Amino acid sequence: MPANIPTTFFAWVSFLLDKYGELFLRGTGVTMLVALTGTVLGFLIGLLVAIVRTIPLPRGVWYRKLPMRIVFFLLNVYIEVFRGTPMIVQSMVIYYGAMQIGFRMPVLGAAIFIVSINTGAYMAEIIRGGIISVDVGQKEACTAIGMTHWQAMTHVILPQAVRNIMPSIGNEFVVNIKDSSVLNVISVGELFFMSKSAAGAYLRYFEVFFITACIYLILTFSVTRLLRLLEKKMDGSRNYTIYGSQSDSQSSIRVQETEEAE
Amino acid sequence: MENILEIRHLVKHFGDHEVLRDISFAVQKGEVICIIGSSGSGKSTLLRCMNFLEQPTGGEILYHGKNAETEWKRTLYHSKVGMVFQSFNLFGNKNVLENCVLGQMQVLKIERREAEARAVAYLEKVGMGAYRLARPSQLSGGQKQRVAIARALCMEPEVLLFDEPTSALDPEMVGEVLGVMQDLARGGMTMLIVTHEMSFARDVASRVLFMDGGVILEDASPSTLFSHPSQPRTQEFLRRVLARQL
Repeated sequence: MPANIPTTFFAWVSFLLDKYGELFLRGTGVTMLVALTGTVLGFLIGLLVAIVRTIPLPRGVWYRKLPMRIVFFLLNVYIEVFRGTPMIVQSMVIYYGAMQIGFRMPVLGAAIFIVSINTGAYMAEIIRGGIISVDVGQKEACTAIGMTHWQAMTHVILPQAVRNIMPSIGNEFVVNIKDSSVLNVISVGELFFMSKSAAGAYLRYFEVFFITACIYLILTFSVTRLLRLLEKKMDGSRNYTIYGSQSDSQSSIRVQETEEAE
Repeated sequence: MENILEIRHLVKHFGDHEVLRDISFAVQKGEVICIIGSSGSGKSTLLRCMNFLEQPTGGEILYHGKNAETEWKRTLYHSKVGMVFQSFNLFGNKNVLENCVLGQMQVLKIERREAEARAVAYLEKVGMGAYRLARPSQLSGGQKQRVAIARALCMEPEVLLFDEPTSALDPEMVGEVLGVMQDLARGGMTMLIVTHEMSFARDVASRVLFMDGGVILEDASPSTLFSHPSQPRTQEFLRRVLARQL
């Protein structure tokens, strides 16, 4: 062994950071890339699935309802399968399954695909919950002024639903940062995979994974805070400006009334 | 005068429960029709069926002589027959002005500038012009309902349906909403109003319908219905309600 081998825990930590800093950074980059794109794509998948599942069934005889019923059934299968099996197993099945039928997926692409489709299944249910949480009166008001289902969804229902489920979306993002570590089974160069390589060289598992834990914690903590800020921004200002009006001379008096009422 | 709306043999079931039983009446231009009756008599369901928020089980609704369900484009019909709800239902994610602009732009395909001008005009009309930048959650009940009326007016409807517009309001806010409705009635707007405000019905309505058990039991001018109700059920209802309100 070389003479400058560290002896204490902290000496090891700083030694490993120095030696494998780049490895950790690359791993962190891949983890964030997979978690972020996976969450965003998963959100879009979930949005689509949830919107389709809220389309009212056509009225009339059974065969007019049949196409929608088949679509609903398939979407249910998708959700049940991807929520009901572990992501680590899904990665193996999808990655090696694709390889067996002669399609070699790029590892990073496979990683993003797996996380997205897995997140999509959870998001579909979260967004469905968000849509249900919006008062039915909102949809009725849209219908009553002649808006279509799609217009009501995009302009009124979904913006409110998404605001309501922001905490759950943030949750999914945090889960993805952590759970992307299971992708190491298909050799995705994310943080856990890189840490394993770093630990193997000097067999310092405790020190390396102590560093890894710190990085994960920093990532999840900052993401949580950022999302909280975003939520605040979505809520808009608590105050509003009274628009100068000639016809309503009592406006200023009424404002005071409402402020007191709050 | 021309019938704007004509209801023919309207029936509505919720499962085994028969809420509306063979309702027929016509609405002429400029009429202000108040629908009164005890709760559970089918008043709100009738209004909601007229706007297809509930699917009628039977009968038909004619709008300018043509079947509203089959011969009119649904979104066009909706924009022509406006609705004001008991619980306001302002779009929670939009401010007052946007609430009034959205339908114009999406349904009537009006450009933003024009839509905003129209929205401001109607907001001024209901005395809410100063609040155009406020969010619904920042308004009192009476203010919300006035915005909801402006939102409905922005679609320039031919008929406005009011489903108990003051029932969710504090007593002191009822007046401001009824005042706006009275102005609309004077301006010639055709309105159907489900209400428990008997004095409003007596003073503003051109016709009053008394509903009981899913049928229209009495259809008369307010002076006749309130002073000489012909049906015993109407007499009993009025005795109970008027005793409480006065």
